[in-house]
Amino acid sequence: MKSSRTVKTSQRGDLAAGATRTIHADVCVIGAGAGGAVAAAELAEGGAAVIVLEQGHRHDPDSFTARPPQMLARLYRDGGQTLTLGNPPILLPLGSGLGGTTLVNSGTCFRTPAGVLRRWQSDFGLELDEESLRPCFERVERALSVQEVTPELAGANAAVARRGAERLGWSHGYLRRNASGCVGSGVCAFGCPTSAKQHTGITYVPRAERAGARILTGARVERIATTAGHASGAHVQMASGAHVEVRAAMVVIGAGTIHTPLLLARSGLGQASGQLGANLSLHPATAAFARMEEVVDMAKGVPQSFYVDEFAGEGIVFEGVAGPPSYAAMSLPLTGERHAEAMADYPRLAQFGLMVSDSSRGSVASVAGQAVIRYDLTDADLGRFRAGLRRMRELFEAAGAREVYLPLPPGVTPQRARRRDLKLMAFHPLGTARADARPTHGVVDGDLQLHDARGVYVADGSAVPSSLGVNPQMTIMALATRLAFHLRNEEVPCPS
Amino acid sequence: MSARLPADDPLQGFVGSAPGPQRVGMRVLLALARRPRGRALLGRSKSTDQLAQMLVSLGYYDDPRVATGLGYDAEAVVARGRKLRQAEGRP
Repeated sequence: MKSSRTVKTSQRGDLAAGATRTIHADVCVIGAGAGGAVAAAELAEGGAAVIVLEQGHRHDPDSFTARPPQMLARLYRDGGQTLTLGNPPILLPLGSGLGGTTLVNSGTCFRTPAGVLRRWQSDFGLELDEESLRPCFERVERALSVQEVTPELAGANAAVARRGAERLGWSHGYLRRNASGCVGSGVCAFGCPTSAKQHTGITYVPRAERAGARILTGARVERIATTAGHASGAHVQMASGAHVEVRAAMVVIGAGTIHTPLLLARSGLGQASGQLGANLSLHPATAAFARMEEVVDMAKGVPQSFYVDEFAGEGIVFEGVAGPPSYAAMSLPLTGERHAEAMADYPRLAQFGLMVSDSSRGSVASVAGQAVIRYDLTDADLGRFRAGLRRMRELFEAAGAREVYLPLPPGVTPQRARRRDLKLMAFHPLGTARADARPTHGVVDGDLQLHDARGVYVADGSAVPSSLGVNPQMTIMALATRLAFHLRNEEVPCPS
Repeated sequence: MSARLPADDPLQGFVGSAPGPQRVGMRVLLALARRPRGRALLGRSKSTDQLAQMLVSLGYYDDPRVATGLGYDAEAVVARGRKLRQAEGRP
């Protein structure tokens, strides 16, 4: 990759309302989440002049309040209330700002399962395997201080699930997370007050800046520009009202699985295969509560620190989830006096989550400039929730729960639950600009370059071609690392 | 549904950050939940009543006086974080 090393701006000064600026760079990176920030840092450190365009803002940890309603409004797109249309409607929280969803996720780190990589080879023609991706994963894991949570840090909520799993003989373990110096503040999803969570906004973004990258926040990319089928830059509307024209021969998109296909569509790109915006996979999830004899204090410790993967082969994984009283009260599946009575015993409430590796597929489209997400749960996934909820009750009962509160209407058993009975959230959207070696089947190729435009690459979850069954941030970061070194014409170095 | 409603603004910020149609819906739910006749109306539909309760609960249990009584002190969590960041030079 030829490099001009410095980002050049046509005029000095602030990007004030009404002003227009032209910025020249080698690479324009759109989005500073799991994919964009990693690609930006690795490319900048390789000598490229990089500009990063992030629609959200830079968040100062001093402004974090550890109060869910405030932090949902500040750190999430649409206040964390992005909703899918379908049966049932599903809440799909997405982070906003430098760090993207890594700013507000639980920090759980899994490598891409070997079976998924094999499927990507056979079904999508992607030349990816454990061995070739190992240096990428190792590099990311080292950059983010990935390590297993200790039982002490995991807290009493995890101990409840562990006790249940051990008594039932179910496979389980402590999760690996990107955290350094964590003290178990219990609010990973609402802004880490200790900056222990190594989200990309405090890791890769500063690295990119130190290597000379320019970061523009409040920058909404209107469209990607191409000339004769090759990337030439991007047109940007700043929150200040200014307009920026970026000129760059390479564009790396990391706007996320919901917004990348919309950006490509309004740029007239990525549409040849008919797959753009299709193939949306999610991890639909729900959570159950239990009232225990012992004090749990679920907000003390790492909320997502423990997993039960006994039923992973069926597409069902249990992962820890917990939060402050307001968060728990919002999701506690009781009403009226029963709700108030259970909340009065909040210190003894335990909670655990159920995540399904979906077979359902949805889509993303733009209607009047807004993202419209369609997603209907298949019969198979409904069956997974029924089985998962039944086993969740078993888990809590084995742990000694006095009462178990499943997220179902009164009188509805897991076996008889209908789609509309489920209270679902979803995480880890993937696949809406999927990679496939065949131009007729995918939006990007095995190198994550658009099939129909040279120099335009996708480095976020939208390129991931299938559900993973595990949290995807490491997969996205490893693929972004691979992409950056591919563009640098270098091998990914093995960490010493 | 509980009639206990928060007095402060964080809930308003949360509602205000929602996409348009949800924002309108939540404001209607909150307005109904604040009035005895509105609460009676909400009680006629389980799903609507539950939505209203989720919203009201988010605000009510966020109140520091309520949360602290249940063992959660957000200010202490934030203060510990700030102290650690300053002491260890974290971002």
